[in-house]
Amino acid sequence: MNISFSRQLSIEKLKARRRCLWLIPTVILAFLVLWTMWSYQTVTSKDQQQGYSSLLFQLPLLNTILMPLMIAVISSRICDMEIKGNTLKLLCTLQRRRIIYDCKLLYSAKYLLLFCLGEMLLILGAGQMFHFTETLPLSVLGLNFLCTLLVGMAVMILQQTLSLLSENQLVPLILGLAGSFLGLFSIYFPDRISQFVLWSYFATFTPLRMDWDRATRALTYYPIPFPTVKFILFLVFTLLLYLLGKHRFQKKEL
Amino acid sequence: MGTVITTDALTKQYGAKKVVNHLDLQVPGGSIYGFLGPNGAGKSTTMKMILGLIHPSAGEITVLGQKMTDENRLSILGHTGSLIESPSYYGHLTGRENLKIICTLKDVPEKEIDHVLNIVRMENQQHKKVKQYSLGMKQRLGLAAALLGNPRLLLLDEPTNGLDPAGIQEMRELICSLPQSHGMTVLVSSHLLSEIDQMATHVGIIDEGELIFQDTLASLHEHSRSKICMKTTDNVSCIPLFKAAQIPAVLKEDSVYLSCSDDRTVAQAVRMAVHNGIGVLRLEEQQMSLEDIFLHLTGKKVHI
Repeated sequence: MNISFSRQLSIEKLKARRRCLWLIPTVILAFLVLWTMWSYQTVTSKDQQQGYSSLLFQLPLLNTILMPLMIAVISSRICDMEIKGNTLKLLCTLQRRRIIYDCKLLYSAKYLLLFCLGEMLLILGAGQMFHFTETLPLSVLGLNFLCTLLVGMAVMILQQTLSLLSENQLVPLILGLAGSFLGLFSIYFPDRISQFVLWSYFATFTPLRMDWDRATRALTYYPIPFPTVKFILFLVFTLLLYLLGKHRFQKKEL
Repeated sequence: MGTVITTDALTKQYGAKKVVNHLDLQVPGGSIYGFLGPNGAGKSTTMKMILGLIHPSAGEITVLGQKMTDENRLSILGHTGSLIESPSYYGHLTGRENLKIICTLKDVPEKEIDHVLNIVRMENQQHKKVKQYSLGMKQRLGLAAALLGNPRLLLLDEPTNGLDPAGIQEMRELICSLPQSHGMTVLVSSHLLSEIDQMATHVGIIDEGELIFQDTLASLHEHSRSKICMKTTDNVSCIPLFKAAQIPAVLKEDSVYLSCSDDRTVAQAVRMAVHNGIGVLRLEEQQMSLEDIFLHLTGKKVHI
């Protein structure tokens, strides 16, 4: 018995039938579309001049609130069917545990990827719909995509590990909710504290800052250097988190 | 067929407590091996160790002639089917879809699904979502999943748990038929002697993690031979009479117990009592309970 990884990954698709997993990122994306339309319903030329920068600054902030919850729900729904149906005892006699872990992570990552792509489309679509005059900052757009995906993956690894280890899915879901709040409030924390809050990184990697001019009541977005070292360290942290999560799952007694 | 499962000093320790203690299990090929013991004796832990779901603290496991290691575990388990504790299922999927998943994982053709559904008599429920199944149906689906790929070895942990009497009977018949019809060896655990008695050809009894008996069912019957309880009008006078005729008998409470239960000896005892003017009021055969057998084998009382 030696079936390929891709075949084992395809089983996740079979298992997820009727779980309507696509609905979770779709609902979040729909909310973001509505929020964008509401934000730009009265668009000025100043808004059009920095339309992309504005979205690329604000969407990561919204991601800080929405993505931890979205990821917690996706991971929980994918792992809960194994816990509820007592299937891990059976699966672990047919598959290597590390493969089970990887297949689940990759399958969940598919929805994260679709969400990130959807967000990119939203930015591009908003640019067309509201006639942004700003040149599309492709590098910032690419970085935003990459960073959202990376931070999302780190959160997903944490959520999946907890979902696979918990008998009750309330624990990982509460962590997701707590992550949303912590991520949001960490914006107001000093850097030395917020750097320890995983969920804050959805906004940390944005290479843009906002300036609020009290006199003119105008918002201006300006670029800042991308925190490359922080990004590399985060990448290493994500890798370690993945190895640790997989190791914990492999050691779990069923 | 040789031994299909052999464990050598298999031990599982949690802290200071040895849940399984130096277990030397030997499951002969083609047998239905009844793994018997009270709740918490270590049956499930042993089966989980055989399946690699729990890492043993010490000892070795040989399955189908191969010593189990992390590397060859899955290839060996490819020839086994298992049903551990409660059945495994995806409630949001139909029975057939559940089996399709197992088929893919076991790399067996999907046409086998019809065959195993036929064995467990679930053809009519295959398109229903499993969450709508009764526990008995879920157990049968679990067994169908275990049977996919025509495994050489089946490990069933308390497969009749939670089933109604009809379901128990059906499951029992199914298990009994497997060695002959499919050439399988079955390791089935239970805490009920009566259940093992009706299914197994070989028995292993485990208590507090230690194997206290392992042999054929016939040999266990030797240990569990029945006694004859005789109530007479004068129990005390019976004892010397029976002793003189070399019929083993003891006086306990208000009855005389004959430890041999063959018909001739019983008839002889009754005849002697009546001949000596002692009225025989009641005569009944008493089977040794599992508690009695445990007491007999270990000298300690257990509650099952």
